[in-house]
Amino acid sequence: MIILIQILVIFVALAVIGSVLIGKQSHSARAWKKIALSLLAIAMVIAVLFPDTTNKIANIVGVGRGADLLLYILTLAFIGYALNNYLHQQHQRDELNRLARKIAIIEAINRSKQKK
Amino acid sequence: MVIKDVAVIIPVYNEAKVVRGVIERVLKEFKYVVCVNDGSKDSSSEEIGKTDAYLVEHPINMGQGAALQTGIEFARTLPVEYFVTFDADGQHRLQDAQAMVKELRKGKWDIILGSRFLGSAPGIKTSKVVILKLAIRFSNITSGLKLTDTHNGLRALNRHVAETMQITLPDMAHASEMLEIIAKNKYKYKEIPVTIEYTDYSKAKGQSVINAINIGFDTLLRKITK
Repeated sequence: MIILIQILVIFVALAVIGSVLIGKQSHSARAWKKIALSLLAIAMVIAVLFPDTTNKIANIVGVGRGADLLLYILTLAFIGYALNNYLHQQHQRDELNRLARKIAIIEAINRSKQKK
Repeated sequence: MVIKDVAVIIPVYNEAKVVRGVIERVLKEFKYVVCVNDGSKDSSSEEIGKTDAYLVEHPINMGQGAALQTGIEFARTLPVEYFVTFDADGQHRLQDAQAMVKELRKGKWDIILGSRFLGSAPGIKTSKVVILKLAIRFSNITSGLKLTDTHNGLRALNRHVAETMQITLPDMAHASEMLEIIAKNKYKYKEIPVTIEYTDYSKAKGQSVINAINIGFDTLLRKITK
């Protein structure tokens, strides 16, 4: 039973990181992110209403306590979020740089024309 | 004889104390000097304005890689055949830049890179040597090239390279990225020995060792995502 959770966590971790890294920002990728987020929120509500469920699920997959299971899921969600955000930020910075470069070059060309 | 078919590109960030002297030295040998002021907080812009160099002004600070790309793109509009990138803090020697252009003129290579480990770097700190050697290993692995110095700001390109090169990593990670571009576009490259003169000023401003972690992370991440 212990092996089940280990395989599961490693597999899901790789899938999350892989999808963030390799996945293009397509409509479907963004939709899946929303679905995953909604599911997480629903799971949270259920876990609060029926505190026993997390323990039961944890036992099924081979984790000792429900709290541990939550921690694993949360860690995974956080790593996925952080990576996703970092890549998104870099993409935006790249676009901002291109825009600023264009302005700088236009300005410089105008300035050198005035000099002449 | 002032060389007229070469543009010397100098990225400038907070170099007000030394930049004017460097530019004036370069202008004695090269007609076209393009300074990219990368959002300096000091009076670098005014200092550049006092010289005959072209000034390209980034509206915000974008990093050295971004400044080089801007400089190259502006220099394309000038009537030149060759492009040299040069540091603003006076650590490069003009005779090395001239030797690089001479190599390019032979027409056998697209890009000439300077190597301080083929040449010399008097006054270099041991910690810097260690981190540079690691960086060289790393860059050679990620790019597949074989070089002796991968993080040297002194380079010479022909027009073909200047027209096709697109640097996207804004900070110091551009040095590794440039090598990947060389490999991908199959530019013919050559390394020649250069001397880096580490002045107190350039030493104080040099890259911090810990920043190598940032560069490594970004380079690897980009490799995976591409």
